[in-house]
Amino acid sequence: METAVKRLYEGMFLVDSALAAQDWQGILDEVLRILNRAGAEVVSLRKWDERHLCYDIQRKSRGTYILAYFNCDTDKVKGIERDVQLSERMMRALVLRTDGMTQQDIEKATPAETQPQQDTPGDPDMANVPPAAAVDQDIISEADDVTETV
Amino acid sequence: MARPQNNPNTKRRKITATIREQTQCRFCREGKSYVDYKDIDTLQKLLTNRGKIFSRRRSGNCACCQRKVKVAIKRARFMALLPYTA
Repeated sequence: METAVKRLYEGMFLVDSALAAQDWQGILDEVLRILNRAGAEVVSLRKWDERHLCYDIQRKSRGTYILAYFNCDTDKVKGIERDVQLSERMMRALVLRTDGMTQQDIEKATPAETQPQQDTPGDPDMANVPPAAAVDQDIISEADDVTETV
Repeated sequence: MARPQNNPNTKRRKITATIREQTQCRFCREGKSYVDYKDIDTLQKLLTNRGKIFSRRRSGNCACCQRKVKVAIKRARFMALLPYTA
């Protein structure tokens, strides 16, 4: 008899930057669709960074990384990877268990969030606002809306 | 019988007291049990210009952390965060 165990996973999804700039909400919907198909509970979903790829993937040289944390059954993770391979919008994905990670690692600010702060160090209003939490809540609330409509 | 004085094969070894400043590797010093593949700045320091992984002797990592670094670098390469070769 198999018993499905739920674990917290970290998923990094790589999409084309041009596509992400065109239709960011559509990309987020696509990620959520894949995660929902596997019955995952999304803890956080946010943009990690947009950067130049070290080598071309599908003839694309720039990519946008989306970082997601989700609770999922252990036997459904394979389905997520397969769905990503079948998806035309996703270029690549890496799903890992978060066993060795601390809460600080999970809540660590992404490069996309820290970069604007470095540009404007003198802005006192921006310094008081924790960017990670703010962005997370926004995206998750949008994500909840999307799941309700779907 | 006189002892041979200048035998070239028996060199006197200099005993020098070497004090290691850092007795632990960089990850053990930070107390991290997990090497993050997203931490590109740290992993970049452990690669050559051609993208090869530095040996333990060069990087100063302990065996445990070197294995974790190896896995982290390979994950970062898969996600095109680090080059396979440059």
